[in-house]
Formats: sequence, structure tokens, C-alpha cells
Amino acid sequence: MANFQVWLVHWLAHAAPPIATFMRSKWGWPMAESIHFLGLSMLVGCVGLFDLRLLGMAKRIPIAALHKLIPWGLLGFAINVTSGSLFLLTEPDQYIYNPSFQFKVLFIMLAGANALLFYATSWGRATADNAIPDAPKAAKLAAAISLSLWIGVIVCGRLLTFFRPGDCPASGPGIIADCTPRMR
Amino acid sequence: MPFFAWLESTAASEWVRGSPSLFAFPAILSCHTVGMGLAAGINAAIAFRILGVAPSVPVGEMRKFLPAMWFGFWLNFFSGIGLLIGYPTKALTNPDFYLKLTLIAGGVWLVGRISKRLDDFPKSLAVWSLICWGGAITSGRLLAYTYRHLLAGM
Repeated sequence: MANFQVWLVHWLAHAAPPIATFMRSKWGWPMAESIHFLGLSMLVGCVGLFDLRLLGMAKRIPIAALHKLIPWGLLGFAINVTSGSLFLLTEPDQYIYNPSFQFKVLFIMLAGANALLFYATSWGRATADNAIPDAPKAAKLAAAISLSLWIGVIVCGRLLTFFRPGDCPASGPGIIADCTPRMR
Repeated sequence: MPFFAWLESTAASEWVRGSPSLFAFPAILSCHTVGMGLAAGINAAIAFRILGVAPSVPVGEMRKFLPAMWFGFWLNFFSGIGLLIGYPTKALTNPDFYLKLTLIAGGVWLVGRISKRLDDFPKSLAVWSLICWGGAITSGRLLAYTYRHLLAGM
């Protein structure tokens, strides 16, 4: 894994030089960060709202009707994958070797898997024409997991700067590098 | 400003700024970001509904999500005071900070209007709500790049 990380950092650093140049200009990084926070709010606002509904808030709103907000949450996610890539392409070693980033990516993948599982198992029951306003237990569990994971994603994102990777010890990185490996 | 210098010399301010604990500055900052997502995000979702997204949702029922929005708002009010205690000069000498407060005040005023009459809420005001909360996020994010003095006397 550590070797793959070294390769990935090298690849990202050379993938799109104009983007890195733009990001290092005076307003490049601040602009991308602002967009990243706007996308975050769209994602949490729409997906989080849907999770709260599944958990029992605003029960008079049909679940299927409120689900029409989800594409806007996904748009927020797409905005953040795009703006997030700009950071990654500019300072790849600050992310790929950063344990906070590694957990952030893990939580995003788990949130994705959790959502797919929700659609595969309880979506049908939660949105059937004769569905009762109270969501099935499995849907509530999925909603609680979703909320927790997205909060975890935000916290890991915020903690990135406090876990900047230093140089690896002479013994080298572990299986997953959480430090910058020395170049041979 | 002697007041800023005094505030920055207090134990609370030094703890926010200098404590190596993850429960000091990093935790306050994390709370401020989660609260932002809830406050701005839920207001955005309500504005999207007013503007015509998810038309089969009874618009008045969106009011039921306001407690979660207010939870985010107060989380940010208090975490914001925490950040302000840590760096009073940095924020209060930056015009951008007052722009942020103005935009939040505008957004909160619109929430008050929304609570009263959501069923026929004007679309133009929903657009203003998006502008206020989006502007508050952007001006808040830019605080890190536009300050002139980090601490008193600097």
C-alpha cells in the first residue's frame, strides 16, 4: 500500500500542472475552499435532512417526496469531489500520507456503501404507496449511520491540518504510510 | 486595542490558541463546520423546496426541520465565540468579519419570515436566503486569507 501511495503522490503531482499553478495563485486555494464548503452544506443540508426524516422528524412529509432533494445533495458531493481534487492535485503528499485524509476517504466510501445498502434493503418498504409515516427500523439505522459518517467526514476534513505528515522513521512506513517516505 | 490585548492574555484565549489538545482549537473548528453544514444546509434545502424542488413535499411541513437548523446555528454561535476568544484581533479588525455577521443577520431575519408564512413564501426571498447563507460561508472561509492583524500588536 505504501508503495502505491508513493506512486499515487508522484502521479498526482504531475497530472495537471496548470491546476497546481492556478491553485498556488493568490485566490486559487481560497476560492476552491469556499466552493468546497458550499458543496459541503448542500450535501449535509439535503442528505442530512433526508436522514432526519427517516429518523422521525417531519413525519407528515412522504419519504419518497422528500427524496427529490437527494439529487441536490449529490450535486454538492460532485462539487466537493471536484474541488477536493484540486487540493489533491496541488499538494498530494499532504493528503495521501495524512491519516486524517485516509479516514475521511474511508468514511466517504462507507457512507456510499451504507446508502447502496439502504436502497437495496429498505427503500421499497419506506416508500411503498401504503407505507406508514414511520420509517422501517433498518432505514432508521441506515440514516443514523449516514449522519454519523458525514459528520465524521467533516471532522476528518477539518483535522487535516493538525495531522500534517512528517518524515517517516528510518525503519520506513508501515503497511499504510501515514508519514512521508524518504526517497531512495 | 488594549481590550484585545487583555482578552488575548487570558487563560481561555491562550487555551483556544495554544493548547496541543485536539479538544481545543481543532474541536471548536470541527463543531463550527458541522454547525455550518446544518444551519446553511437546511436553510438551503428549504429554499430549494420554495423554489420548486421536490414539489410533492407540503411546503409548510419543511418548518419541522427548523429545530435541527437552529441546533446548527447555536452550535456555531457558541463555537464562533470560542474562536473569537482565541483570536479577537484577527476577526474584529477585518471588515470581512462584519460582512459575514451582516449576511448571517439577513439569513436569520429570513428564517423568521419563513417560520411565519412558509406556505406562500416569495421565491425572491428564498433566493436571498441562498445568497445570505452562501455569502456567510464564503466570507467566513475567506477570513483565513484577508485578516490584517493576527494578534494585538502584530
